[in-house]
Amino acid sequence: MDLFLQYLVNGAVTGSTYVLVAVGLTLIFGILGVVNFAHGEFYMIGGYAGIFAVTAMNLPLLPAIVFVLAVAACVGLAAEAILHRPMKDRDATSSIVSSFGLAVALQNAALIVMGPQPQRLNLDASKMPLLSELPTEFGPVFLPHQRMLIPLTMVALIGALYAVLRYTWTGRSLRAMAQHSTVARLCGVRVDRVAMVTFATGAALAGIAGMLMSSVFLVYPIVGNMIALKAFTVVILGGMGNVIGAAVAGLLLGVIESLTSAYVSNSTRDIVGFVIVIGVLLFLPNGLFGKSVGRS
Amino acid sequence: MNTALLEARCLVKRFGGVTAVSGATLAVGEGQILGLIGPNGSGKSTMVNLLTGETVPDEGEIVFAGEVVTRLPSYRRARLGMARSFQMLRLFGSLTVEDNLVLAGHIRMSAGVIGSALNSQSARSEEAAARTRARELLSWFELEEFASRSVTALSIGQQRMVEIARGLMSEPSMLVLDEPAAGLSPPNVDRLILLVRRLRDEFGISILLVEHVMRVVRELCDQVVVLDAGRKIAEGTPEQVVNDPLVIEAYIGSGWKRRAQA
Amino acid sequence: MKMSICALPVIAGLAIAPLGLGGYELSVLMTILFYVILTLGLDLVTGYCGQFSFATGAFYGIGAYTAAIMSRDLGTSIWWHLPAGALVAGSFGLLLGIPALRLTGHFLAIVTIAFQTIMYLAISQWTSFTGGQVGLHVESAGKLAVFGTTLFELGSLRSYYWLTLGVTTVCVLAAWRLVNSRLGKEWVAIRDDETLASAIGLNTTRGKLTAFVAYAALAGIAGVLTAHSLRGVTPDDFTIWISATVVAMMMLGGRGTFIGPIIGAVVLAIVPEFLGRYAEYKMLIYGTILVIGMTLVPEGVIGRLRRSASR
Repeated sequence: MDLFLQYLVNGAVTGSTYVLVAVGLTLIFGILGVVNFAHGEFYMIGGYAGIFAVTAMNLPLLPAIVFVLAVAACVGLAAEAILHRPMKDRDATSSIVSSFGLAVALQNAALIVMGPQPQRLNLDASKMPLLSELPTEFGPVFLPHQRMLIPLTMVALIGALYAVLRYTWTGRSLRAMAQHSTVARLCGVRVDRVAMVTFATGAALAGIAGMLMSSVFLVYPIVGNMIALKAFTVVILGGMGNVIGAAVAGLLLGVIESLTSAYVSNSTRDIVGFVIVIGVLLFLPNGLFGKSVGRS
Repeated sequence: MNTALLEARCLVKRFGGVTAVSGATLAVGEGQILGLIGPNGSGKSTMVNLLTGETVPDEGEIVFAGEVVTRLPSYRRARLGMARSFQMLRLFGSLTVEDNLVLAGHIRMSAGVIGSALNSQSARSEEAAARTRARELLSWFELEEFASRSVTALSIGQQRMVEIARGLMSEPSMLVLDEPAAGLSPPNVDRLILLVRRLRDEFGISILLVEHVMRVVRELCDQVVVLDAGRKIAEGTPEQVVNDPLVIEAYIGSGWKRRAQA
Repeated sequence: MKMSICALPVIAGLAIAPLGLGGYELSVLMTILFYVILTLGLDLVTGYCGQFSFATGAFYGIGAYTAAIMSRDLGTSIWWHLPAGALVAGSFGLLLGIPALRLTGHFLAIVTIAFQTIMYLAISQWTSFTGGQVGLHVESAGKLAVFGTTLFELGSLRSYYWLTLGVTTVCVLAAWRLVNSRLGKEWVAIRDDETLASAIGLNTTRGKLTAFVAYAALAGIAGVLTAHSLRGVTPDDFTIWISATVVAMMMLGGRGTFIGPIIGAVVLAIVPEFLGRYAEYKMLIYGTILVIGMTLVPEGVIGRLRRSASR
């Protein structure tokens, strides 16, 4: 039982990164209709940017987070200019190939610049003064500060995003675009700006996930491959374009994986998600939480 | 009462919370031209999709050529002799006019795909026969000069004719025409009326005609079914349904009376 | 007809090439031929039938491991491996074709990436069967023997090159036949408008599945040839980057144009040879080609040329 709780918490930590990556992916799909296969590379770049900020620039945690958010958002803007802007009048399949190409290019650029060795982000107590005063043992569950940071940041960022989507004009125009882009355009929504905001937000969320996760696991050039696939799993489970669905499904996938590796075997851990996703795609094409949409 | 070639009983189709078709029934007799009309959003398109097999009904039964086809995919219905045209023109844009027709003739070929890949004698002669038939049909429609052109080079009216010619390639017993007069100029509408009548009289094809243009319905249809909000609200000859108070009520505000008298 | 007239001198030239070329050039030529088979297969399923797949590397690997495992456990020669590799990879192609019946566009693309990843994980982790990360050693191809008389030893690079050239030629001819047959026309119909294809009576289920099987079988054949050429297989020879490379080759040449993807494969397979010490930039270049190509010439070079010629 004690171990079970520990697995649950571990799963929620990993699941939180899935949420951060998947929410951006689902936003980009839901609002712009772009399937971004290069989303995992935002995560990878976030990881390296975090290491640069903490190690080379010697920044404390909060400024480092701001730095990573800014770098990732800029990468997101560049991706928008490459993947979305020139393709606006084409069918959706164009972005499949070009975002796949962008992913391959970014991974190999990272391989050349950073080398293949995995790297770690060293977040010691001196970097996070407030957090390091919290306890790390909660009954039978052990939760180091670096790990604790991940769900905390996730809740803060996703909460903020939800509030923005719900209560601000920017959020309203984003949601209007998701509902009907032509009508939104006619109502004066500036589509170009919405596209930029969406990509920047999605990339920033994934970048933060990459930064925080590389203090627990490692970052390497092709780390984004697996993360992107997991995020796609989550997005499909949650219903394409559904932010709340992605948040729930992300935590769920993290927990399922953690339990699978604990009680089944570690090597099936990465496969279980894909098996679920293929099943969901075949039998529940709108996802677990998706609304069924009628077409005539 | 002649026997029905296509019969739909109590069809129901829901999309999420919306019931697009609720309990509609219709029958197309052999050699009959049946009109299917109704205001926008009355469920005509859904009805056509159910009858041709693009969607499967939640309830009800469809019988075509003596077989229950309720859940058969559209290609199986096509093989039983059902052909259709589309409301929004649909042709294979990367193929020539002739190839568009020949493809529709594939289902009448007996050599399998293996034989065709091996280029067997029988496959080649069948292919040649299909090409001849495509040319014949095109000349019947006065389109033979466009045979080897891309379909995108044709006008809307000509593309509609190609769609109907494509339907004939498979030697169907039933043709479903989904708003064939949409986007046609008045002289072309006249041509369409003559043509559809000839299809029935010369080829003996039964026709289900979904149409907005009342002139076409009045001149062609033996019998008309009126849908409103997914239900059948009237059935009868064109004259009868036009004067039916229920029908008039369903159309009020959409200019029915005016159009009916035009 | 026109195509066979153009192709004859090319094949003849390739056939006499070993007489003037050294070992290094011959292995480069063979690599090109492997990529020609792979790209040709992908063009059938994506270019002609319109179904995206990023799982070419997986089918390539399935063919190669079929050869390696048969050679280890059964001691068979390449003559058995070629049909077996095509059959095994083709069966997996059928398996991947099943989701394609219900999914289109990006959903299918995601499933193929997932399939590619699962295959990689399976090959690299099922150590007792596949040799894990170390991979497996593969015996030389064997010999061509009729009634016990050896006609042809395939151990030498030169004779293996001829075998590769022969198999490639057969694959190209078979693919050409396919795309010009009724089945090929039906693939194009499914690509252009699946609803319409079904409405005119074409069995779209059969169309998609046959395209996936043909694609996977060709990749499997390329895998068998590669396994014997390299004399070994490792999981890292069959990653998603192979899939990416093949997609780039097809898109650059022009999907659905037949000759375009072949030219794309030849060009992009030669490029790394000229990069010299910059060869590590190969994948970066392929990725960039995909991005720029999709933006500027989405129909590929040959596709663009054909379009402007038809104006």
